[in-house]
Amino acid sequence: MSDCIIIGAGPAGLAGAIACARFGLHVTVLDEFIKPGGRLLGQLHQEPSGEWWNGIKEAERLHQEAIQLSVDIRCGVSVYNLEKEDSCWNVYTNAGTFTAPFVLVATGAAEFPIPVPGWTLPGVMSIGAAQVMTNVHRVQVGKKGIIIGANILAFAILNELQLAGIHVDRIVLPEKSAISQKAGEPEEVLKSLLNAAHLAPSPLLRLGSRFMKNEWFRQLGLRFYPKGGMKVNGTPLQLRKAAIEIIGQHQVEGVKVVDIGVDGTIVPGSEEIYEADFVCIAGGLYPLAELTAVAGCPFQFVPELGGHVPVHSEWMETPLPGLFVAGNITGIESGKIAMAQGTVAGLAIAKHAGKGRNAIDHQIEHAVQHVRNVRASAAIQFNPQIESGRQKMKELWEQEYGSKLNRASEERIG
Amino acid sequence: MKDMSRIIDHPVLGKMPDRKVLEFQFDGHTYQAYENETIAAALLANGIRKLRVHEESGNPRGIYCNIGHCMECRVTVNGQDNVRSCLTVVKEGMVVESGKQLPNIIKRMVEQS
Amino acid sequence: MANMEDVIICRCEEVTYGDLLSTANKHKCTARELKLRTRAGMGFCGGRTCRLSIDRIIESVVPDMKQGDIPLKYQPPVRPMTFGTVGERHE
Repeated sequence: MSDCIIIGAGPAGLAGAIACARFGLHVTVLDEFIKPGGRLLGQLHQEPSGEWWNGIKEAERLHQEAIQLSVDIRCGVSVYNLEKEDSCWNVYTNAGTFTAPFVLVATGAAEFPIPVPGWTLPGVMSIGAAQVMTNVHRVQVGKKGIIIGANILAFAILNELQLAGIHVDRIVLPEKSAISQKAGEPEEVLKSLLNAAHLAPSPLLRLGSRFMKNEWFRQLGLRFYPKGGMKVNGTPLQLRKAAIEIIGQHQVEGVKVVDIGVDGTIVPGSEEIYEADFVCIAGGLYPLAELTAVAGCPFQFVPELGGHVPVHSEWMETPLPGLFVAGNITGIESGKIAMAQGTVAGLAIAKHAGKGRNAIDHQIEHAVQHVRNVRASAAIQFNPQIESGRQKMKELWEQEYGSKLNRASEERIG
Repeated sequence: MKDMSRIIDHPVLGKMPDRKVLEFQFDGHTYQAYENETIAAALLANGIRKLRVHEESGNPRGIYCNIGHCMECRVTVNGQDNVRSCLTVVKEGMVVESGKQLPNIIKRMVEQS
Repeated sequence: MANMEDVIICRCEEVTYGDLLSTANKHKCTARELKLRTRAGMGFCGGRTCRLSIDRIIESVVPDMKQGDIPLKYQPPVRPMTFGTVGERHE
């Protein structure tokens, strides 16, 4: 039996495994994908310093370190249930049941779908799917594509597609509806993009953003937004256009697009069809917390963190003894944050397992501070209000569980 | 090996490393794949997007999430149904079949009348 | 929003926005009831893909409902259980 089971071999899971294993704990990591690295594998972007963040290399580095520490990594394993039995956790998978006193759920995030008429046609995929095909499998997703949804993730992956020589014809918004909500409103989209404007590849967008922060200028800018869109490395970003239908018989052949007002209302008679053989839907990310839910962990809805989030402490503990979380499941941020959080979780598990004596508290606090430092120097921020989201969770924890569990952590478990 | 749908050279990731080529079957036809790639990726590289049809409507479906969550990419592999092609690595001689529309006798009768 | 009525929300069961909207309006129901009446969320993916869309539809239809009011509820198994894996896991 392992001392600790980690669900998810992404940056948080691998970093957690390494931190745990360093204290001599026997760790098993489970992942459904064909190789370790999680969504790091698809990531490829340039930091403002000019340095490349190469997810494949980062994942390999973590993988090697984990292997050196005798971490048992099992890929192609799907976890379908998680249940406490006495003082241990049972992790039910298609490769049998794994049991351990400690479990770290590091399952990352999933993408919001944005239903568009015709979106079930072959050739329509989530933008993350395109990232995996391009950078992980090195397969071209198509000859000419259209991205529906303008947000940071969409831009990061657009860049990756362009780097790989994939032709992205344009980015448009989804049609405004109860489901797409703000994603279909040019005003709201521009506001959220501007929070990351310092990352704008085009100097025009960068300069313009200073003025755009002002409501009035923004309205003006949107009213006179060029119909052809502003180019992002050659791909027009068309904030005043919305996709209303994806057409094709057996697979994607084109997208029907209309002009929209600044609030997303459709301009009648403005329909046009653009050819494409692939479409990427970019709806944003939310924490993939289903396993913590079936385990009985309480949740909190925190929009700044991306949705429903398992309640957790700064030490990555949940209210359920022995159950920990780390990475995007705690709130949508970068791979670097996921790694830093994984380290906190691994150390906290080691402490709960009775390792490290007096020094470990200090190490954990140091690791928690490291998370804060990484956040402060972040190049890409999926959500500009992440800090307030983290604060909300911290306060909630302190209110509800703070004093109780601090005592419990002195005890040995397992 | 047809490499028209592959990203052989990449300005940052570098040249695609040499990989062993293997053969598998999809709906009775033989295709080539690289070692250690998923069925979904190998099929897409061969220009195949349709992996199944909706069991009731017969509408064509392909990958959506590509990471095993949406279940859209499910195919039959060596006789086993409902295998996620986005999470399954191609093996030499693998026999893959697309998901079919289920027969619905009453429906067919109504359609034909 | 001409086309929106026919857009498929639950991909697994091919339940449309129109189906969901009319059912939600008619019964002013919970997410669970909506799923039981329309079969949305009861398909192969276990509601994984359509859950959030359905929640948003309910929020838009039920008066006084705020974003995030619908509690998270998942039933195991959260992955399809097959007997053995084809394609095998890597060592």
